[in-house]
Amino acid sequence: MKSLKTVLATGVAVLALAGVAIAQEKPRVAFVPQLIGIPYFNSMEAGGQKAAEEFGVEFIYTGPVDANPIDQLQIVQNLVNQGVEAISISTIDASAIAPVVAEAKAKGLKLFTSDSDAPDSGRDVYVAQASDQGLGETLIDQLVSRIGEDAKIGFVSGDATSSNLNAWIKIIQDRVAEKYPNVTLLEPQFAGGSSDRAAQLASDLMTANPDLKGLIAVASSTCPGVGQAIETAGKIGEVLGTGYCSPNTARSYIESGAMGFTVLWDPAALGYLTVWAGKQLIDGKPFEASNTVPGLDQPIPYDAATGILLLGDPTVFTKDNVGNFDF
Amino acid sequence: MLAKLAQRIGGRELTLLAAVVAAAVVFASLSPVFLHPNNVYAIIRNSTELMLIGLGLTFVLAIGGIDVSVGMILGIAAIAIGNLLLAGVDPWLAALAGPLVGLALGAFSGTVIVLGRIPAIVATIGLLGVYRTTIFALLGGSWLSGLPSSLSEIFAARIAGVIPTSYIVIVVAYAAAFVVLRRTPFGLHLLAVGNAEERARLSGVAVRKVRIAAYMVSGALCGIAATFYIANYRNVEMTVGSTVALDAIAAVVLGGTSILGGKASLLGTALGVLLIRMLQNGFTIVGLPSLWQPVVTGVLLLLALTLERAAVAGLFRRLGGLVAARRTA
Repeated sequence: MKSLKTVLATGVAVLALAGVAIAQEKPRVAFVPQLIGIPYFNSMEAGGQKAAEEFGVEFIYTGPVDANPIDQLQIVQNLVNQGVEAISISTIDASAIAPVVAEAKAKGLKLFTSDSDAPDSGRDVYVAQASDQGLGETLIDQLVSRIGEDAKIGFVSGDATSSNLNAWIKIIQDRVAEKYPNVTLLEPQFAGGSSDRAAQLASDLMTANPDLKGLIAVASSTCPGVGQAIETAGKIGEVLGTGYCSPNTARSYIESGAMGFTVLWDPAALGYLTVWAGKQLIDGKPFEASNTVPGLDQPIPYDAATGILLLGDPTVFTKDNVGNFDF
Repeated sequence: MLAKLAQRIGGRELTLLAAVVAAAVVFASLSPVFLHPNNVYAIIRNSTELMLIGLGLTFVLAIGGIDVSVGMILGIAAIAIGNLLLAGVDPWLAALAGPLVGLALGAFSGTVIVLGRIPAIVATIGLLGVYRTTIFALLGGSWLSGLPSSLSEIFAARIAGVIPTSYIVIVVAYAAAFVVLRRTPFGLHLLAVGNAEERARLSGVAVRKVRIAAYMVSGALCGIAATFYIANYRNVEMTVGSTVALDAIAAVVLGGTSILGGKASLLGTALGVLLIRMLQNGFTIVGLPSLWQPVVTGVLLLLALTLERAAVAGLFRRLGGLVAARRTA
């Protein structure tokens, strides 16, 4: 009996010590991208790493290898099981993450979205790259200003379940309905993550619509395919490619003229802001209407009604400035 | 006449040919641009890689094997070619790197399967993971994008307006494969191993060597496909080759090569590839959402496996009988 008490006492003491040891470790902020290994998310990773050093947290970067929502959910589930204090996700399937958000809440963990939202999931905050509104409108306004208001335009998107891609398409469609009555938008085509499929779809769209004037690569993974298809079809000058493409991915197509411009934001800054937001959540500090983030120049607005923390206006990359960026 | 032709070419091939023609007629009646030379060129060009990978898989299926990692072999070979082009290596030399890398990977896969005594489906799922991670590591998170167009100038040029020059290589490859399969001891051994491995072994066939060789042939053809992939698309992204295996296996099985081994049809494979690519193209042209395309490939694969032998053979026996009856009448 006595020995059992000793064992219990020792056990409690060990646990207490372990507890102290854990408490002394840095809090962890995880980011789960839609897929790993693409330049865009690598850049977010680099920004997140920088913020982690700046704000004294441990940064975990892990994600699926092929933009599969089920794999992504499993990875998030693992992080929740490990008790990672703050977990951010670039959501692939917005309808799938609500249960895991509830589970994280029950464990006292912070689960939030970044880069791609799941608005009805109960997430703590959404760290937005630029408002979807701003991205959609900037792209279609820039495109129409270059190819004219009397134009037929096609979309080549990635996965049909990506909520951010679908949101941009919807905003472009609404903008056209409201502002550009003579623009015809074709039904979006979905290439998944494969750039040869994107090239095939782009070339098929150009064949089916000889009067096509613009082609929008909605997912970054479809950018090389769209640019390449326009070059191969010999349609530079007839069809103008554009899309949400990183400067490195689109550089050669912007230089050849297959792509007139691309619209995006700086993913490194987005990764940085994501980790900062995670740290704020862990510390229990509320977001202000306008936040000063050490390391970012511009003030960061927060909309309490929608729970969105906004990085800023999108950037338009053209022949003139594409050389200044490396991501 | 028809019955003789059917016997000579094979029922499955004629069914496929009829399906290709029927699909073309339907699409052409729905869209005026379907038969435009540029679109015909697009279909044929988009079939390039699949023609070669399907040919290689025909060898693998003939021995009763399978390889779901073919897309990844294409990817690794494409990265090698791309990096050589970027380093300024002569395009002809860079093009040679493709088949060499593919051959090496095929030899590796074959050795793992045969010497490890692992069922091919399990082994190649494992290798798929290994090769895919290799692609990640090789690309290091940045796509090869905007590669020099030197290979495109060689292989994407057109013959008669609709056929890319890469098809010279494809025709030679199919002819060589035909000779190997039908006129050499190796071809006979391949089919014998696929039919009844134990009996082949007892008859003195070097079963292991034959099986490894089949994977080497497939690997090398994936490597040649990679050369054309670079010529066509001039970039390699992280997800390279992710849809290749399903399309290629569906094409080969559609073509009448048995998934159980022992039976190979080269003409069937080529027609199967053409049918799949034509359906994918036609659906986009007539405005069907591209979401449905993998469903179509999947359903075709299931149909082919269900119809395997019985129904098709029966149909053509009757058709043949009908023609013969009319001639005697």
